[in-house]
Amino acid sequence: MIINGVAIDKTFAEAFPMKGTRIIITAQNTEWAMNSAVAFTGFATSVIACGCEAAIERTLTPSETPDGRPGVACLIFAMGGKGLAKQVETRAGQCVLTAPTTALFAGIAGEEGKEIALGKNLRFFGDGFQISKMIDGQRYWRIPVMDGEFLTQENTGVVSAVGGGNFLILAESQPQALAACEAAIKAMKQIPNVIMPFPGGVVRSGSKVGSKYKALNASTNDAFCPTLKGQTKTECSPEVESVMEIVIDGLTKEDIDKAIRVGVQAACDLGAENGIRRISAGNYGGKLGPFHFHLQEIMA
Amino acid sequence: MSALKLTLKVSLAQRVDCSPLTPDKLAGKTRQEIAELPLFSGRRQLRVADLFDVDGDETDTIQIENSSDKLDHVGHAMASGEIQVSGNVGAYLGQFMSGGHIMVKGNSDLYTGCEMKGGQIKIEGNTGDFVGAARSGYKNGMTGGTIIITGNSGDRTGDHMRRGYILIEGNAGDYCGSRMVSGTIAVIGQTGAHLGYGMKRGTLLLNQAPKQGIGANFNDCGAHTLAFLPLMFASFKKLDSAFANLSPFSRVHRYAGDIGGIGMGEILVKIS
Repeated sequence: MIINGVAIDKTFAEAFPMKGTRIIITAQNTEWAMNSAVAFTGFATSVIACGCEAAIERTLTPSETPDGRPGVACLIFAMGGKGLAKQVETRAGQCVLTAPTTALFAGIAGEEGKEIALGKNLRFFGDGFQISKMIDGQRYWRIPVMDGEFLTQENTGVVSAVGGGNFLILAESQPQALAACEAAIKAMKQIPNVIMPFPGGVVRSGSKVGSKYKALNASTNDAFCPTLKGQTKTECSPEVESVMEIVIDGLTKEDIDKAIRVGVQAACDLGAENGIRRISAGNYGGKLGPFHFHLQEIMA
Repeated sequence: MSALKLTLKVSLAQRVDCSPLTPDKLAGKTRQEIAELPLFSGRRQLRVADLFDVDGDETDTIQIENSSDKLDHVGHAMASGEIQVSGNVGAYLGQFMSGGHIMVKGNSDLYTGCEMKGGQIKIEGNTGDFVGAARSGYKNGMTGGTIIITGNSGDRTGDHMRRGYILIEGNAGDYCGSRMVSGTIAVIGQTGAHLGYGMKRGTLLLNQAPKQGIGANFNDCGAHTLAFLPLMFASFKKLDSAFANLSPFSRVHRYAGDIGGIGMGEILVKIS
């Protein structure tokens, strides 16, 4: 398959099940909600070492938030419910509780009512002065803080999710690969229920499973490293000088399908004339996870 | 099929225990079976048909017409369905109820919503003392649900209240929120003397400053903008109540007390 001169490999991206939740941070204005959200989702690119994958989903208008203030929706994913709960609680405590004027709400209902703590344990920061309020069947905590009161919902829902969807952009130069990634990310950010957790949504260090070093369980994806064309079994044709990856986590497989479709299309829109040569994807022969995203089927 | 209608046909000399007449307890019973059910009045046992004309057969909604303030325990421990009352009712309306709706177009007597756990009671009139309270000698008043009073409530409103909402569109009597453990009492009108007496936790939300002032057992915490109030007012929008039309406010003067006890309760007074 070729789109605008860009070859779409007959391959698939391989993804694995995760647990996820959406949280909503509101504040006096978007700037302070964003400050808190950026901190909340910081150092959350990959479960390999961060414990979770998280990013800002989108900004919310006052009419979309529970308390009628500007807000930011964040999605956070982990390999299991316990790990997710730990990450949410730690990050909420350090990055939302601490941020001026913020309030914290659940942004999703859990499957079969399954929930994890949001402010349930943060309340103890109130040192006994915290106050509980049941509103519309939901428990909220009012925690006295120096700028007034920090309002947080007690729990947030947990849903099954999909992590690790991806595609690779192979280009003739580094600036061209990055330009295609930027176009793809801009288009993908319009799709709800997905995040691209890496910095700016782009990964330059795609990895393969395993390493020659026993201590590591992942190492550089040498087949897609252009500088190793002459040293390893390469996937890079002679004209390819740079490869970048976009990783996608989503609430469902269908959400990731949509994101891949618009992302690959945006990259292909730049076309071969801008140095974009191929779109490929990362997989491990189907051994990593049950979710497979076949590029040619998605783009058909 | 039409709603079960019970029209009181006698002038009552004694109080009547109406606790058997709830949608849950009457479910599956025929009109004839309902007419034969025993009711206790004073020391006498009567049949429903001795006191009421029985009409209709859909027991999910019960209409009590020509009601009297001698009908006690209406909606006792009901868990679902609806009871509509035209006229006054007696004491213990909705005691122990856990779900469903009770609507009264008239006044209710003592202990309305006493120890209720859930559901909604709306009184289009006034209530007696001890709304949402605990029975004498018991420690927990209402633990959930909502009571809406369009008129005035009596004394000791929410005594020992533990959770839920009491919304008073008129005035509250003396000792409003006394010995409250938690929950919210909101008053659009005025409150009587000894507001929040012995209050442990919970919120008394006042739309206007009390003319009798705030007791010395409450400490001034100053003026604040509280983020939970817009959420609470948004939840009131679903209610058939003046609270749904009340202009939401989040700017309040906060008083903490009763410092004679643990001092964790609060009186929030709207700042105009």
